[in-house]
Amino acid sequence: MTKGTEPVEGMDYFMQLEYHELLCPVVRRYAEALRAGKLIGHRCPKCGLVYAPPRGYCPIDVIETTDADEVQLADRGVVTNYTVVTPVQYYGQEETEPFAKVSIQLDDPGGALSLQDVLEVPVDQVRVGMRVEAVWAPPKERDTGEIGNRSFGSAAGAIRGWRPTGEPDLPADQIMQAAF
Amino acid sequence: MGTVPEIAIIGYAQSPSWRRAELTEPQFLFPVISDAIERAGIERRDIGFTCAGSCDYLSGQTFAFVMNLEAVGAWPPISESHVEMDGAWALYEAWVRLQHGDVDTALAFGSGKSSPGTPAEIYPLQMDPYTLTPLGIDPVSIAALQARAMLDRNLITEHEMAAIAARSRAAAKGNPYAQVSGDFDVDALLAEPYVTAPLRKHDLPPISDGATAVVLATAAKAKEVCEHPVWIRGIDHRIEIHQPGMRDLTESPSTRLAGEHAGVGEGKVDAAELSASFTHQEKILRNELGLGDDVEINPSGGALAANPMMAVGLSRFAEAARQIAEHGKHRVVAHATSGQALQQNLVAVLEA
Amino acid sequence: MADEIPTTTHTIEFPYTRTLGPVFSAFLTGMRDGRILGIASRDGKILCPPTEWDPWTGDALEPTLTEVGPGGTVETWAWVETPTRKHPLHHPFAFALIKLDGADTALLHAVDAGTINAMETGMRVTPRWKDERIGHITDVEAFVPEALGA
Repeated sequence: MTKGTEPVEGMDYFMQLEYHELLCPVVRRYAEALRAGKLIGHRCPKCGLVYAPPRGYCPIDVIETTDADEVQLADRGVVTNYTVVTPVQYYGQEETEPFAKVSIQLDDPGGALSLQDVLEVPVDQVRVGMRVEAVWAPPKERDTGEIGNRSFGSAAGAIRGWRPTGEPDLPADQIMQAAF
Repeated sequence: MGTVPEIAIIGYAQSPSWRRAELTEPQFLFPVISDAIERAGIERRDIGFTCAGSCDYLSGQTFAFVMNLEAVGAWPPISESHVEMDGAWALYEAWVRLQHGDVDTALAFGSGKSSPGTPAEIYPLQMDPYTLTPLGIDPVSIAALQARAMLDRNLITEHEMAAIAARSRAAAKGNPYAQVSGDFDVDALLAEPYVTAPLRKHDLPPISDGATAVVLATAAKAKEVCEHPVWIRGIDHRIEIHQPGMRDLTESPSTRLAGEHAGVGEGKVDAAELSASFTHQEKILRNELGLGDDVEINPSGGALAANPMMAVGLSRFAEAARQIAEHGKHRVVAHATSGQALQQNLVAVLEA
Repeated sequence: MADEIPTTTHTIEFPYTRTLGPVFSAFLTGMRDGRILGIASRDGKILCPPTEWDPWTGDALEPTLTEVGPGGTVETWAWVETPTRKHPLHHPFAFALIKLDGADTALLHAVDAGTINAMETGMRVTPRWKDERIGHITDVEAFVPEALGA
């Protein structure tokens, strides 16, 4: 307020920037497939690693990948890693209760999705080795508008989350080699 | 400068400059790096050190620059560094690194997409947070303050500024990577309205997405693999005070000092690739570097023809090297700038 | 049919509160109180806006600030025809470097001159203060031609 008697000790600055980026061709194709109920990736013709979403190159072999390298992926897999976040109420945080984010190694032909949500399982029962399957949004409710050029491992807007299949867990040593 | 190490540019490549690239930064960087390495005549795995120049604020993502390493190939693990600066400074760091003598090649690159954000809103954030950022002072407005000061002191005319724009765009017709090129009539340009007076659209750089990569080598390696190494005979970087009100914006003492230490005046200069992103700045740079009318300025069209932030300064090095390696020039100056209104400047002398 | 390429949008935002230190605390307290302050450099030049260190020698400066202005002279200016949303005014205005009376360096700020024709290097300007001030560079809403008064 004007004419306080105490010295001014702080200065507020609300920083805000907006970015509007064209969706690159390979992610457009990925999003289109998601809306049609399919998960796709690119398999590197050299090392065989599968990237979901596709990046248009394999960073290990440093070669470009194209539509010719497209593969349809399984929509079931196994949890290879997870974290339970206890949300701190900083500016912009919308969550209030602890929540889990998991990494999933998809069944053959492979591919890994990260930061996925789990459904129908309490947070404290999320575990490595848990077999899961995708819970797709109904076709008319699929909206891939959240998927951006850097949404690696995302299926946002099409797959709501992953629920346990009820099958026995895979032992951890069988999935040790999978990427995070 | 003491004993000048013998380090050369042995390869270079650029992407075109796009107003709005459809590809992501790593995707359009990918072929640029591969091309530069191939032209250098070395194997990717032989590169001893990699340095990247980019700006996370352009992408709007923390650690955005990490993704760019996928275009380099970082498996098995590589020795690399990053500067939150134009790729020209990545080249400078690589030049310093090569002097340790344990590695003989280095890759430097710069890349950026200016199109997704709003540059006029991003750049105020790099300024003094108490007195400048809150006013949203943008680079075009600061450049306009600088141009007005030059006009007031009869150091330039609006006609000269338009002539620089016309000459740059005409030169850019021969540059396959340029974004703005063509034949323009000076009087027609002057008939256009001001954007931020006294600057008109032609006085401003385009908004560009793009990438540039350069490969450096020490003497023995350069001579072994390269038919026309382009030697870096001198390189220097100086910076001035931040507050524009504490500088004389019509001069660039940092450019003058960097030029002296790089040895610009020690021989005849055939051409110069200068990072003047505003027309009036070309005159300031010429004056401070002592470049007379006999020096060809920006045969590529310069930053007025293509302005991929974070790559535009390194592009001057690539174009300067091209003048020597492909167009028979002997001695060419390359210049990069950063900060507002030529606040800091990097100058290098390249020689056949 | 022209296929519009979809765009992905994201926003980054955060409400910062910056600490000030003795120099900027004094400067912004002055702004709140309707006074523009400068700081003396090592060799006695008055710097406005102030810096915490001597720009020429790098020495830390005594945080004892003195009043400058309120009026000053426009050293150079630029006419902003289309303000951005981050600019201090939302109609055409000038940015200017203003050397306030008693200062040896120039302050960058806005001049609300109304039209480009009212701007001239060398003109005198005076601050138009906001009624509600908080300790911010924009406590001066803009400078105005001295002839028109604040």
